[in-house]
Amino acid sequence: MTQFRIGIDVGGTFTDLVAIDRDGATVFAKSPSTPADPSLGVLAGLEELAGRLGLGLRALLAGTERIVHGTTVATNALLERKGARVALLTTEGHRDVLEMREGLKDDRYDLRSPPPAPLVPRALRIGVRERLRADGSVAIPLDDASLDAAVARVRESGATSVAVCYLHAYRNPAHEIATVERLARDLPEVSVSRSSDVLPQIKEYERVSTTVVNAYVGPAVQRYLARLEHRLREGGLSGSLFIILSHGGMAPVEEAGRLAAATVLSGPAGGVAGARLCAAMLGIPDLIPFDVGGTSTDISLIVDGQAALSGARGLAGERIALRSLDIASVAAGGGSLASFADGRFQVGPESAGAVPGPACYGGGGTRPAVTDANLLLGYLDPATFLGGRKRLDQAAAEAAVDALAPRLGLSRDETALGIHRLINLRMADGIRLMTLRRGVDPRRFALLSFGGAAGLHAVAVARELEIPRVVVPTVASVLSAWGMLASDLRYEVSRTHVGESAAVDDEGLRAIFSDLEARAGARLREWTDAPPRIERSAEMRYGEQVFEIDVPLDDLAWDAPDLVARVHERFHARHEELFTYASRDQEVVFVNARVAAVGAVPAASLRPAEIPAAAPSPGERRIFLDGWRTVPVHRVEALVPGTTVAGPALFEAETTTVLAGEGDVVTVNRYGWLDIALRPGEGARGET
Amino acid sequence: MPRPVDPITRSVVEHRLSSIVTEMGEAMLRTSYSQILNSSRDFSIGITDVEGRLVAQADHIPVHVGALPWATRAVEERFRDVVPGDVFLMNDPYHGGSHLPDLTAFVPVFDGEARLFWTIVRAHQSDIGGSTYGAYNPDARDIWTEGLRVPPVRLAEAGRLREDLIDLLALNTRNGRDFRGDLAAMVGAATLGERRMRKLFAEFGGLVVVQAVDGLFDAAEQRARAIVSTWADGVYEGEAFLDDDGHGREDIRIHARVTVAGSDVEVDLSASDPQSTSFVNSSHANMQSACAMAFAYLLDPDVPKNAGAFRPLTVKAREGTIVWSEPGRPVTMCTSHPSDEIVEAIVKALSQACPERAMAGWGRRFRIAIQGEDPRTGRGFIWHMFHARPGGGASSGGDGWSSAGEWHTVGGLKFGSVEFAEVRFPLHFRRHEFLPDSGGDGQFRGGLGAALDLVVETAAPALANTAGDGIRYGAPGMQGGRDAAPHAYRLLSEGCAPRVLKTKETGIPVRPGDVFEVRSGGGGGWGPPEARDPAARERDRAEGLVSGRGEG
Repeated sequence: MTQFRIGIDVGGTFTDLVAIDRDGATVFAKSPSTPADPSLGVLAGLEELAGRLGLGLRALLAGTERIVHGTTVATNALLERKGARVALLTTEGHRDVLEMREGLKDDRYDLRSPPPAPLVPRALRIGVRERLRADGSVAIPLDDASLDAAVARVRESGATSVAVCYLHAYRNPAHEIATVERLARDLPEVSVSRSSDVLPQIKEYERVSTTVVNAYVGPAVQRYLARLEHRLREGGLSGSLFIILSHGGMAPVEEAGRLAAATVLSGPAGGVAGARLCAAMLGIPDLIPFDVGGTSTDISLIVDGQAALSGARGLAGERIALRSLDIASVAAGGGSLASFADGRFQVGPESAGAVPGPACYGGGGTRPAVTDANLLLGYLDPATFLGGRKRLDQAAAEAAVDALAPRLGLSRDETALGIHRLINLRMADGIRLMTLRRGVDPRRFALLSFGGAAGLHAVAVARELEIPRVVVPTVASVLSAWGMLASDLRYEVSRTHVGESAAVDDEGLRAIFSDLEARAGARLREWTDAPPRIERSAEMRYGEQVFEIDVPLDDLAWDAPDLVARVHERFHARHEELFTYASRDQEVVFVNARVAAVGAVPAASLRPAEIPAAAPSPGERRIFLDGWRTVPVHRVEALVPGTTVAGPALFEAETTTVLAGEGDVVTVNRYGWLDIALRPGEGARGET
Repeated sequence: MPRPVDPITRSVVEHRLSSIVTEMGEAMLRTSYSQILNSSRDFSIGITDVEGRLVAQADHIPVHVGALPWATRAVEERFRDVVPGDVFLMNDPYHGGSHLPDLTAFVPVFDGEARLFWTIVRAHQSDIGGSTYGAYNPDARDIWTEGLRVPPVRLAEAGRLREDLIDLLALNTRNGRDFRGDLAAMVGAATLGERRMRKLFAEFGGLVVVQAVDGLFDAAEQRARAIVSTWADGVYEGEAFLDDDGHGREDIRIHARVTVAGSDVEVDLSASDPQSTSFVNSSHANMQSACAMAFAYLLDPDVPKNAGAFRPLTVKAREGTIVWSEPGRPVTMCTSHPSDEIVEAIVKALSQACPERAMAGWGRRFRIAIQGEDPRTGRGFIWHMFHARPGGGASSGGDGWSSAGEWHTVGGLKFGSVEFAEVRFPLHFRRHEFLPDSGGDGQFRGGLGAALDLVVETAAPALANTAGDGIRYGAPGMQGGRDAAPHAYRLLSEGCAPRVLKTKETGIPVRPGDVFEVRSGGGGGWGPPEARDPAARERDRAEGLVSGRGEG
């Protein structure tokens, strides 16, 4: 009997698993991650999950209709530079596109750091004699002798993966396809990524970089997924296995292996999917997911219930131009270290990391971290941290802060409060740019606080930005795994059609899109019986601009006689929305047509919280706000839905603690989550 | 007596200021219309106090950093009756500006009655009038030929924009509508900054913010002085040369005499050559800014770039020289040349005081613009070359960045996609790759320049202009490192001898099928070549970055 759906999020420290049955009953499990072969940790986690359900592993897997999995294999291969040895075959005369990076270099005032090594060293970037023109016609035919020589060099080089990227191949893939066929014949054991397959769109730097990343992480992702699937099938799984991709949709294992570069944000994508589900459950369309971990804070945006997508992302300094959830990472977390040097007080970006960790972890850290400050301020209880599994060392935290305080001319308490305030500001900065970059006013959003370390900062950060509402779900610490169960199947295709859109007529435009729709729809039907929903968009810009904007074209009367004019109007309106103005008399350039076929799956539903038999009276603790004062400490699982608590107060759950300030009103909603209304006010004056 | 501002409040204020300038910059990037602003980001954001001291700036274009204080002082001197809601505008190089394209908007920030700060947006206009499009005119012999001069003027009076004045300005530029859009973006971003500053006052009180800013100046000064005091005391000299001024003068010398005493640095440019008749002169503010830029490059990257960091630096120069011309002289080239040469002369001089910090020379700017008709559309086009970026200088930290730009842009300028250029312009990029052997040899090798073979595929003859420098002097090596190859551009036309392009030419005839053979210079090498790690040398050869010919 198939009744379970399972979400699995493999993180750096823990593998989180969530199982939901037909009735919406939810069971969580946590198991240590096993980085050398993450599938071992996954299996151990499934074992643990089965135990909590009172089942054996085989019975659980046999009863599972679907597993959705977020993986960091590609992420880690890229971050740790442990991907494949890649060779690049590219148009002769243009083999440095990857390393030129469009002429850009970060940090204007750092002229002494050498450039980063490209993923493919120059000796492995091999020019092939061929050339297409901008209209796709052949200027120089693919030269056999040149291809022979290139294939021979790949063989000699020992490369295990090859990226093929020729100029204008987005317009005509013939030369790339011939090259790939040749490689498949002569070097069958080598993995191949083709630019016209990975990212068939104009702009060579983005295309070559994305294709190279795909080639770099592809073999590792393919190996891992094959192993995982094998273990699961052996264990008795007959249901489907889907991988969540960076755009937040999911795809079968084979597709994730083909487009491995699209899995680099597979992990955090689950959190965004979870946030989207929260938005739907709460009826709050505009949310800022705020995920604070030990070293970093991940911020994204849910607008009108949808997660923002971006085509302008990268990871570890590599450009990946596939559409991806827009997730900003700020180096600020519980492990961020405070320092005072040359007259400057700073918190982060330097972090204590997992080793030694904050001083209070007792791992030998001697410098004060944010968690140390939170402990000394009384916000954390040394005895109940992580459900009592980790005892915090108060004396070590005191020693670390005391080493800093006299140099600031402040007391221990004031110093700890300063650390807490500064890290809040850094987190707020991340949100400010994330919202402002889109011309979005953060004040109309609610902040969704998740990840272990978010709860102590979320309210203060919201206050800093005048965000009126903070929500903390009980699934906060496993939101990613939980959210994966709410992902849809998604397949995206795009096609570049550069030209003045005035030069495209209505029929031409319909033809471009219907071709894409047919391809996307056909692929999706291979994955699911659910009828595909088609999403259309276009990237467009004004004639003299260089950055396109993404214009959603849904809900447009597609058979209207003035389709092109309507598409123009969508563009003008979107431009106005983003940048405050539109230039309706200007030439509009159409660059890329995009279609996504989406196979919706029924969202996982959650049952309302079990009502506790009797709410025990809260404890209390002395904490430092403006001065020391005693505040109530509530156990989250003991709160009855509908309860209202006035701040200041602390709320403790197994894996997170939440601090509400003076005048804030905390309501326990029907799921048992905290819904915090911030006191209306002028700003952050005097707050933590 | 107010209680002194503690370090934490100071840090809070510092973060707020930095997020305000970042937010202003984002707003500007997203709302400006011209490609030069929204793609190449040729604009800068700053906050100064009423004495013109730089409080905070967003890291965009280094050559703007040190110039804003002079512009602010010019506005302060001209207007004594500033009220809330006023907006001021200026560009004139002889009234505190750098060069005419850099139009600058100022919004005063009040705390109640007290005027405390300015929020400032400086943006390079795509056109500013004058006798040629885009202001760069090698033929200019005076500043009036270069464009519209705007001394400090009041653009808005107590919240009301002076539309008549905007009409006047827009009418004097070639693309009035874009000009209005960009100006609206500038005023919008500066006003946004003003609002955020007032919010900061509401929270802490204006006085606390002013005191915190004083503390930030002191902290930055302390860091800068701590670094400078590690430099060897002494008097050092450095020089750099402009190829020519396009009006017949060659080898124009920029000379820096730099004195390091304790934690103080004095730069004296007085011995530089006399001013020119052409646009290679520098305005006073630009010269000051180039000196600040050189100084900033030699500090640590994370020293805050506020007025405090520049307190150890004193600048001396003589009016009437190439680095500070007399009123009326043309100056449009100055933000690149002689800025790059001023930086170079100072870095060279100080390389004797702090050899580990002094980087070898970065490339110079050599522009080409092609104007013609696209046979595919029958429409006119103007294309500006940002490709074939020159190389960056090596340093004690390692090899230089290839194709990363000049001293005054240092990797901040983006070139567009080749595919896109071929779609939009009748151009064919036959080759665009690193240029082997173009970086200076050394213990650490200079970054490489690029080789570009560009075929012009018009049906009718086209015209080209150039503006720049660096075909005779390559980027210099440092500490025994070798100089890099200079730029070498040629125009190849079938049946004609190759035409070597000069750096300051107008009206170059281009026939259909002609090829621009662009070979941009690399960055200088650092340290003696014999100290280079043999493995690095082997890698250079294997990678084809060095041909192996002519090494010794």
